[in-house]
Amino acid sequence: MNDARSPQRDWAGRKERGSFVLMKLTALMARWLGRRVLTPLLYVIVFYFYASDRRGRRSIHQYQTRLAAWSGRAELKPTSHSVFKQYLAFAECLLDRLDVWNGKLRLEQVQLDDPADVRMRLLQSRGQGRGQILVCAHLGNLDVCRAMAELGEQVPLNVLVHTHHVGHYNRLLGEAGEHRMRLIQVSELDTALMMDLAQRIERGEWLAIAGDRVPLHGGRCIQVNFLGETAPMPQGPWLMAGMLRCPVNLIHCLKVEGRYTIHLEPYIEAPAWERGEREAAIQRWAQGYADRLAQHCLDAPRQWFNFYPYWQSPGTEATHAR
Amino acid sequence: MTDLQLDIAQLIIDTLSLEDLAASDIDPSMPLFGDGLGLDSIDALELALALQKRYEIQIASDSRDARQHFATVASLAAFVEAQRTACAG
Repeated sequence: MNDARSPQRDWAGRKERGSFVLMKLTALMARWLGRRVLTPLLYVIVFYFYASDRRGRRSIHQYQTRLAAWSGRAELKPTSHSVFKQYLAFAECLLDRLDVWNGKLRLEQVQLDDPADVRMRLLQSRGQGRGQILVCAHLGNLDVCRAMAELGEQVPLNVLVHTHHVGHYNRLLGEAGEHRMRLIQVSELDTALMMDLAQRIERGEWLAIAGDRVPLHGGRCIQVNFLGETAPMPQGPWLMAGMLRCPVNLIHCLKVEGRYTIHLEPYIEAPAWERGEREAAIQRWAQGYADRLAQHCLDAPRQWFNFYPYWQSPGTEATHAR
Repeated sequence: MTDLQLDIAQLIIDTLSLEDLAASDIDPSMPLFGDGLGLDSIDALELALALQKRYEIQIASDSRDARQHFATVASLAAFVEAQRTACAG
């Protein structure tokens, strides 16, 4: 390999390989040992996170307090157990994700709540139609994006992420026989990336992007009201939609009474801004999204999986774990 | 103003909805960013997408070169011309 590699890069490379090995090991363990053996192990790990992660506990406490105050539902106020229950919900979500990856949680077991027939739009992209954008959140089970790839049959789905492990994930996906879904790393909106995305949309491919997490190192974010308080949210999805001029749909997958339901809804039909109105349009779309997200939080109050101080501006925090 | 320069000026007006301007109002040597036309980085991205679609050209990345190509209508026209020649050749 390259001799001129700096020690820092080398370390980063090793770390990346390490986490790939860990991911692969977990997936294999899940396959060999099965969920029943893995469950207690995972609960131990999650309990460790709960016990050691004071910042995470406080963040969830804050989320629960704000959700209760905003909705006026006193039963949602945090209690001594409610924060731990949110960690348990996360453990359950991780187990379900392994099931999704191992093909044990099939699309047939998932309900579809799609009153406006977003799925039909997805299927229509197969011919000569343009692709669209799906905005998801760290609420409920994100791996349903994989199920979406199944929903769309032959429609390729590009998932835009901030992580650097894209190459490894794509390999894992390939090994799992998943060729319709692809991860693309996005750190900044630049010309090359936008051109690539524009071509994908024209080819009828879809883009999925999280609407609830701001990029790690600041990036473009915007202040919105979320659960009654000001929170930073990313501008990325809305900027992209406006530039690519392609419709935006929202997707959430929540587990209610032991059963997953994928909720699909159209959000913006024809994103565009007038001259000098861009900021206002982005603000309107981001706020409208925060409002819908808040409503969805009420459907599954314990499935909010952002374990960091959500209402704090980026830059004052080092990492968004998980 | 050449035909291509006029065409690009019109494309800028259409893409960025600068309806109060006519293509002939945009001097080929007027800076597009900052003090000139006052475009910003998102405008540049929108413009790049429009150019790509219209002239079927590739703009590699945000290199210093790319920024120079986007300086004025004249430099954009020269860039489009060069790209077309490269593609044809």
